[in-house]
Amino acid sequence: MTNASEVLSSIQSAFPGAVLDSRVESDRRLWATIDSKKILDVCKHLSTKLNFDHYSGAAGVDWIARKEMEVVEIMASHGTHQVVAMLKVKTPRENPSVKSLTGLYWNANWYEREIWEMFGINFEGHPELWPLLLSDELMGAWPWRKDYKGYPDLTTGERAVKISTPEGYTEYHIPPTPAEVEAGTVVVERPKYPTLREREEKEIKSDSEMIMHLGPQHAMVPGPFLLDVLVEGERVHKAFLDLGYIHKGIEKIMENRSWLQGITYTDRMCYVASLSNNECYCGAVEKILGLEVPLRAQYIRVILEELSRIQSHLIGTGEFLTLIAGVGYAPWQYMIIDRENIISLIESVTGARLTHTFVRFGGVRNDLPAGFADQCKKVLPYMKSRTEEFIELFAQDPIYHKRMDGVGIIRPDDAKRMGVSGPPLRATGVAYDMRKEDPILVYPELDFKVVTGTKGDSADRIDVRLREMLESIHIIEQCLDRIPEGPIRTEVKVPKKVPAGEAYYRVEDPRGEMGMYVISDGGDKPYRVKVRGPFYATFQTLTPLLEGTYIADAVAIAGSMDGCPSEADR
Amino acid sequence: MLKRKMIKNFGWPLKTAMRETEVTRLYPEVMMELPENERGIHELDATTCIGCASCARVCPNSCIEMVHFKFGNPLKNKKMQFPQIDFGRCMFCGLCVDECPVECLKMGKKVVMAGWERKDIVKSPDFLATKRFTAKEVADLEAEAKRVAAEKAVAAAAKKASAAKEAPAKEGAAKKPAKEGAAANGPAKKAAAEAKPKEGGAA
Ligand code: SF4
Ligand code: SF4
Repeated sequence: MTNASEVLSSIQSAFPGAVLDSRVESDRRLWATIDSKKILDVCKHLSTKLNFDHYSGAAGVDWIARKEMEVVEIMASHGTHQVVAMLKVKTPRENPSVKSLTGLYWNANWYEREIWEMFGINFEGHPELWPLLLSDELMGAWPWRKDYKGYPDLTTGERAVKISTPEGYTEYHIPPTPAEVEAGTVVVERPKYPTLREREEKEIKSDSEMIMHLGPQHAMVPGPFLLDVLVEGERVHKAFLDLGYIHKGIEKIMENRSWLQGITYTDRMCYVASLSNNECYCGAVEKILGLEVPLRAQYIRVILEELSRIQSHLIGTGEFLTLIAGVGYAPWQYMIIDRENIISLIESVTGARLTHTFVRFGGVRNDLPAGFADQCKKVLPYMKSRTEEFIELFAQDPIYHKRMDGVGIIRPDDAKRMGVSGPPLRATGVAYDMRKEDPILVYPELDFKVVTGTKGDSADRIDVRLREMLESIHIIEQCLDRIPEGPIRTEVKVPKKVPAGEAYYRVEDPRGEMGMYVISDGGDKPYRVKVRGPFYATFQTLTPLLEGTYIADAVAIAGSMDGCPSEADR
Repeated sequence: MLKRKMIKNFGWPLKTAMRETEVTRLYPEVMMELPENERGIHELDATTCIGCASCARVCPNSCIEMVHFKFGNPLKNKKMQFPQIDFGRCMFCGLCVDECPVECLKMGKKVVMAGWERKDIVKSPDFLATKRFTAKEVADLEAEAKRVAAEKAVAAAAKKASAAKEAPAKEGAAKKPAKEGAAANGPAKKAAAEAKPKEGGAA
């Protein structure tokens, strides 16, 4: 099996002088600074020779004191080996520009677009440098640079000038103050790019085609995003996505909050997966601090994360059923009733229903309450029989299968290439699960299978989710048997200031691979937090997936992905 | 075949409907049962709060403000400052509870806090305090606090005075601060002297 030092020596021997700086953190983590001229070659080498077929994302970092910016490419493999290579490319802060990896990895597109709009780092060779999350007003302000001062300020309301348009509408114009212009927070010059509408209209080839909006407010989605489809009759010719409707800038907010306060923000990225988000952030910080989590706390974390996976899958599946309506409403109600049991279980430990803020650096907030195991022993067998019933119901319903079979098929190769993770990837038959690939906590000691599908269509994705719930129940039962007595927090005092360092930590979110890249500069706040969310990656595949389908299937496909725009936008 | 399976599936909701118990919550007539760990409205033990403002500093939403409140312990909380929480901003994360060094802030099972105006949900220590002293206890404690303060001031003055005496024996560099200290002590001594008779009168 390949390990990090072998990967490093392979790069060094293939490209002498390309690695400017390197650190082998463990067998599974390689940090290397690559010469910006060679990055494309190095990546090509990694993907062709060393099986790095999973481009997991990219992060931008603004090192204002060093007067340079950094793009960190996160590369991994789909199960051939477990090394995650964090390749850094440096570029000067004046006119930052690096080579785009879109030619090598299809899914680099969105990650690079995001870095471009947030940091203003140009990607040479990127075909579509258009805004993704930000609105047009903020383009060119490069809000995630460290010298960004905020927009708009508190006097905006007073400065607003009322303008009546010829059509009878009222608009407001907010002239910038001279100080703002000087500080660079107000965009004086905007980069040139086509708007979404221009992009859409360019694609209309004949009179029989038209654009149809699904969203931003649509019954199809649990959160707002705009899905425009170019249709001819019933056929979708092309799909366009516009997100950023609930872009909260959580990564930037976390830079301005203390380490501890950051936990509360990870909850709010996706409320049905808040425990795994907590885990991901705390795990990364624990890695920098070098904290050991006591065994009991590890078990508690696993129990709760698996419970939260069950409730997330229940809501995901239930919601999907309402989307395809027809067969749907009754099971949705039943799933919500069942989910209530799980939520109550979680609530009895954390004290909150959805936003738990439960995991702490080096432990957890509360111990399991008395009688928790008994309660679990009541609820879990019930959940198990219910889930089995659900699986049977889905399997035997001919209407459902007529509707769902063969809809939105992703082939395994495509899924890997597009960077999908979680149930949509496993439904194609690729057994890729962070709990096995990058094991954390006590997962290596537990016995569970990675559930996979065979066809990769919408029906399979739902089936994988339902069967995963059974695995989760199995995991929790083992944990309850094995959980030892002991402290729930590390005895080491967690310092307010985290020593300088960086870490990348991955967990298996209910939706797939959730990774957080956390950098500390030794202060009491994170220097940078990059969230690599699972749905962001799945989201990106929606546009190619919808091409050539029927309008009616668009909803079934999008719904089967179990989307969470809130986490994609962050 | 097809039909039979379909009928079986349609039968399922019927079957479950017979089996299920009531799920609708009868709020507000009947409040659901909340677990022991519930993170609801904060409960302040005003008798032990030391007014350190740790809770206010750690709050991610800055919803805690330290305000004056009468029925606390002046011995421990010299300035009588207690947390006031703006529940319009609070997200019930519980960080303030974890951070409290004397564990006087808890979160309880009360969750109802609606009001007609924004200011109605800014809850003062008076609302939050589940444990507090009575006016008489506070007066006694205040007297005690004054006595202790006075004693401390006297002790400090004595110490400073002795330090000042020793100072000349030491080197020149040490002289200056010692003298300054003695000078600063002057008013404190006076205050202590003033405080003493007053306290005696109260007693
Ligand atoms: S619970 Fe959280 S948000 Fe509310 S006052 Fe405490 S620290 Fe602030
Ligand atoms: S409640 Fe606790 S943390 Fe807040 S001021 Fe009082 S003693 Fe300090």
